[in-house]
Amino acid sequence: MKKMNDSKRTYMLITIPILAMFVCFNTIPLIRGVIYSFTNFKGFGSYDFIGFRNYIDLFTDPRIGGSYLFTVKLAIVATILTNVISLILALGLNSKIRAKTFLRGAYFVPNVLGALVVGYIFQYFFTYILPEIGSALGIEALQGSMLSDSGTAWIAIVIVCAWQSIAMNTIIYISGLQTVPEDVYEAGGLDGATGWKKFRYLTFPLIIPFFSINMVLCVKNFLMVFDQIMAMTKGGPEQSTESISYLIYNNGLSGGSFGYQSANAVVFFIVIVAISVAQMTISSKKEEQL
Amino acid sequence: MRKRNVGSAAAAIAVIAVAALSGCGSGEEDKVTEVEILQYKPEAAAYFDQVESAFNASHNDIRLTISSPNDASTIMRTRFIREDYPDIIGIGGDINYSYYVDAGILADMSDYEGLADISQSYVDILDALEIVPTDGTYGIPYAANAAGILYNQDLFEEHGWEIPETWTELLDLCGEIQADGIQPFYFGFRDVWTCLAPWNALAVGLTPSDTCQRVNAGETTFAQEYRETAEKCMKLLEYGPEDPFAYGYNDACTAFANGQSAMYPIGSYAVPQILSVNPDMNINSFVMPANENPEDNTLNSGVDLLFAVTEKCGNKEAAYEVISFLLEDENLQEYISAQNAISCKKGDFQLAPELEGMQTFIEAGKMADFQDHYYPSEMAADALIQTFLINKDVDGFLNDFDRRWQRYNRDIIRKVQEYNEEHGTDE
Repeated sequence: MKKMNDSKRTYMLITIPILAMFVCFNTIPLIRGVIYSFTNFKGFGSYDFIGFRNYIDLFTDPRIGGSYLFTVKLAIVATILTNVISLILALGLNSKIRAKTFLRGAYFVPNVLGALVVGYIFQYFFTYILPEIGSALGIEALQGSMLSDSGTAWIAIVIVCAWQSIAMNTIIYISGLQTVPEDVYEAGGLDGATGWKKFRYLTFPLIIPFFSINMVLCVKNFLMVFDQIMAMTKGGPEQSTESISYLIYNNGLSGGSFGYQSANAVVFFIVIVAISVAQMTISSKKEEQL
Repeated sequence: MRKRNVGSAAAAIAVIAVAALSGCGSGEEDKVTEVEILQYKPEAAAYFDQVESAFNASHNDIRLTISSPNDASTIMRTRFIREDYPDIIGIGGDINYSYYVDAGILADMSDYEGLADISQSYVDILDALEIVPTDGTYGIPYAANAAGILYNQDLFEEHGWEIPETWTELLDLCGEIQADGIQPFYFGFRDVWTCLAPWNALAVGLTPSDTCQRVNAGETTFAQEYRETAEKCMKLLEYGPEDPFAYGYNDACTAFANGQSAMYPIGSYAVPQILSVNPDMNINSFVMPANENPEDNTLNSGVDLLFAVTEKCGNKEAAYEVISFLLEDENLQEYISAQNAISCKKGDFQLAPELEGMQTFIEAGKMADFQDHYYPSEMAADALIQTFLINKDVDGFLNDFDRRWQRYNRDIIRKVQEYNEEHGTDE
């Protein structure tokens, strides 16, 4: 009995400082943000409480609507792209090929680079190199800069986001594939499961937990896309690539709409929690255990 | 998931923590007064480091610290939230100044002796920025910048092109330059703020300088005032690169420096960057000829750097002494030479050769402030202008401009109209 109390006390000693820090640096700012969302606070000076005006404005502001549309569009497309490509890469890198270790390392490099650095490199690529290649090959669609056309700028951002996050997702899928025991394949082989069938009925069901982790991580990361926007387009052209985080930062901190953007952040927080909970519930139902 | 959501708040806390460690300015120990300046021009950091050590070497009773961080306005705001005020702030004469005066953060400096030496037109420009008129003076203009058109002097001399004084002459000149196989303008409109450079330069010539105040007072709309500015701004695009929205500010500066265009409509602040690409280049400038009558043209010039003492400053006398030191002729001269700026102090200062073409306007005081200094940054007027230049819908743009103005300026407009009701319009 006494021993239980001892270990309990140790746990408490570990937990309480962390909890205090969490409350101090996370919960309190969150609550203050909620309070500011009911004011016309500019970020300094005096302010008045204005009730729900910020929230009402949010739903009538075309710029906020545009930023949600862009962010959701980007998150969906980039999540699908990232997961498909990284799963294919993982299958390749997990098979018996030459220089496997080297290739795994090489494919992981994008994740090591900072998002801003990658953004600036790609900005140069899209502005100068790609149009050059386009004109050399005579492909008309590629001759202009992708970043200067509001119809294609978001695609460029999807490409960069996906390029960078594929690295981490591939690693997660590789570790998932390594948990699948060889005898499952042997047994499946006797029943005639090869090629696509083998993947569809054996491999994929067994790596579903890794698939759901990747989906949740991807959606969450892409919904909060910020660095790439900052480095590549700064929200342009025609404000077509203003992501929600970018808008909150730009107008709330650099501009004078701290209160209004706090309201935006509160709504965004609720949206992200809702999406994550929904994703977890759906995918946990599909998991299979050996 | 929650962690990132309050990411901005966490960033703010980090900044505050750093600020707290570095200590606040006005502590007194051993009769040495600490004075801290936070100024927003990181490109002038070398100059301010030098001034800081020169000041500290010659003063025993005051210890001066000048910090010139990147993104100083954000740092300033996070410190203001925490009510940790530097003694002096160095900012631009734009809407942030209006906000800070309105919020009561800045102290009245009317009692500062050096104010008499400052050129009246720049004091007036700051006065006009106050949301509702006050009796005090809350900032000392230090250096100004000017925007118009920079041109490649060697190319102009080589081809015998002449400086235009009217809008028609400008278009003719562009045609002539094109006929000689050179591109007249370069633009870097991917960086949205650069859209404001030709916009402002045209707007000061074509609209009254109090346009924004009159809109706030409900006397006019932008749809009435800005049509000509918008149309002329759009016209300039015909003489620029094929896809001006593909390039950023750096790209445009580099291209202009390498002679890929004869002119670049941008402010004097771009000169150091252009020269860093091509140090041998001869750059000169002229005022944007927005009108058909040369008499109507106005130079676009605003306060680029002002010093303001905060209300919470512990020792105003010491702060004034620091400002006087900064305003000493040789220090100011050094700043304006390094930054290609214009002095806000009266006196015989050597103007940068790149601004020679604007000299007559500067001497005559024929200047008006950048209109975007009245635009709230969260309204993103620059992005609106970029959108307009891409889709070329004048009516849609002007309506959008008015609509957004009303949305983002609601509190200011209410304040202005309350003030006008109390005091009657026109002061």
